[in-house]
This record gives sequence, structure tokens and C-alpha cells, in this order.
Amino acid sequence: MLDGLVTKLADTPWSIGLHESLYMYAITESTHVMSIMLFVGTIAMVDLRLLGISYTKVPVSQMLSKMLPWTVAGFVLLVITGGMLFLAIPIRTYHSLWFRLKCMMILIAAVNIAIFTFKVERDKAAWDLGPVPRKSKICAVISLGAWGCVIVFGRLIAYNWFDCDSITSPAMAELTGCPLDPG
Amino acid sequence: MSLYHTAQNIEASALGQTIRESTWLFPAIESAHLLALALLGGAVLIISLSVLGVDLKTPPAEIYKSAHRYMNAAVIVLLATGILLGISEPVKLYGRQAFWVKMISLAVALVITYLAFNPLVKRGASGIGMRSVTGLTMAAWLLVAMAGRWIGFS
Repeated sequence: MLDGLVTKLADTPWSIGLHESLYMYAITESTHVMSIMLFVGTIAMVDLRLLGISYTKVPVSQMLSKMLPWTVAGFVLLVITGGMLFLAIPIRTYHSLWFRLKCMMILIAAVNIAIFTFKVERDKAAWDLGPVPRKSKICAVISLGAWGCVIVFGRLIAYNWFDCDSITSPAMAELTGCPLDPG
Repeated sequence: MSLYHTAQNIEASALGQTIRESTWLFPAIESAHLLALALLGGAVLIISLSVLGVDLKTPPAEIYKSAHRYMNAAVIVLLATGILLGISEPVKLYGRQAFWVKMISLAVALVITYLAFNPLVKRGASGIGMRSVTGLTMAAWLLVAMAGRWIGFS
């Protein structure tokens, strides 16, 4: 089903226009990179606080509430520009191993955020300025690791090592959803 | 020897060749460059927001004490990885406008950050002058990031 959807997407004038434009693709990609500074940058600073190794004089509640709007702003920019980048090259990106790994990491990071929001930070009033509990540190480490992987895998999408035309093993064909070349 | 000849010599160097001919080296260095960029963004932004009045219940000079370590670490990694990336394809870079825009904005960003922004934050400066320096610092680093990505397209 997704296969058919990306093929349809690739035929839309929006996709062709983005793909063929001289400046729009570059502007979108550059904005995507700039937004990483905003999004992952603010997340990293909050995580360093949640690890209890930096900004220890800033109450956890204050750090979360004051940084979150900037993180959300970065997220919105990343989703818009990321969506446009996907729209420009839908079929190749959909089959990219790195894109799939990136999505998996985003999912892990999202689950981690949900656990933090609905469980971990519930009693944060008790450790707003005191020593941070283990559960907060674990969430921070997962967050730093997952978002770091998202950046690296995102960058690697540009490389064609595992594009469909170079897939020879059944396992890789399964992972990328590429047809296995009988030759 | 002209700058172009120097670029040709660097490109022919053993290190330049090694990075260029390896499948993984260039992407790995690029990835480290991007990770450091994110860290730099966070460090500059948290100090800047604090200066611009976002209330973290802690004075900007105190925020700076934590953030400047990450800022310095990120700048060192960015310069080191950036130099390695440059060594692998200096002739291409020589001809790209975006590269020169990036180098000039990088020089401006480093000067503003280390000669104005950081010392002023440490001193607890405030007011319209300090806010202007903060805005300029953020703008300069954003331009560096934008021009950097643009090198790949121009």
C-alpha cells in the first residue's frame, strides 16, 4: 500500500517541481540543517540538565517549560522541511535503509518522550533542584542517543550504498522493501 | 604559489586522498560535524535566550558557566572535522561561492562570539547593546550552518 502511495506521490507536480527546482531543494535542505541546531540543540541542553551534570542551578520545571517552545518550533520546521525533502524524492527515500533506521530512531525517541512526560516528570517537584533520580538520567541518555542517531542516519540517506539497484541479499531486500534483482 | 595551487597540493596529499577514497570516512566525519553543530546550536541558544530575558531562574553568567564548555567542545570538533572535510576536496571548495560565504561568516561568528558575546555575558552585561550582540551572534552561526549545507549544492 505504501509502495503505491510513494509512487503516486512521485508523479505529483509538487514532487517533480521540488525535485527539479534549482533553489527550492537547497533552501529546504539548508533550513532542515539549521532547524537541527534549534531542535536537537535545545533537547541536548535539557538532557544535560536531566542528567544532573549541567545547569544544576536551573529548576528542572523551569528548564522544561522555557526550552520546550523552542524545541517545538524546531520540530515544526523539521517536519515541514523533512516532509518536503521526502516529497521531492519519495520512492528512493522510502526504500532507503537509512531513512527506515531514522524513522525507527524517531519512534524510539517519541516513546521515550511519552514515558518521560506521563511517568518520569510527574513527581519532578520533589527533585526540581535536588539530585536527579535515575529514571530521569535514563530518559536523558536514551534521548541523546536516539536523536544523535537520527542526525547521523539522516545524513547517510544521501549515500547510495544500499539503494535498490545495489541490493543483492534477500535480507537487505526485506529490510529496504526493494525487489531482489534475479540477475 | 597561488591559493589554487595550494588547494591542488592539499588535494594530492596522502590525508586528502585517504578521506576521498574511503567509502565511510567522509560520511563519518560529516556526521560528527553535524552532531557538533547541534551541540553548538544548543549552547549558543540557551545563553542567548537567557540574555534576551527567558527566565531560567539563573543569571545568564551562570548559564554561561555550564554552556561554554559545550560551546568550546563543539567549536573544536567543528573546526577539526571541517578541516578534514576541506582537505579531502579543496579544489572543489575553492570554486564554490558558498564555501567562501561560509568561511567569512565563520570568521565573523568566531570573532563576535569569543571577543564580544562571551566576555559580555561573563561580565553580566545587559541592555540594548548586549541584545544586539546576542542577535548578531545567533544570526552569524545560522548563516554558517546554512552556507555550510549550501556548499553541497552550489
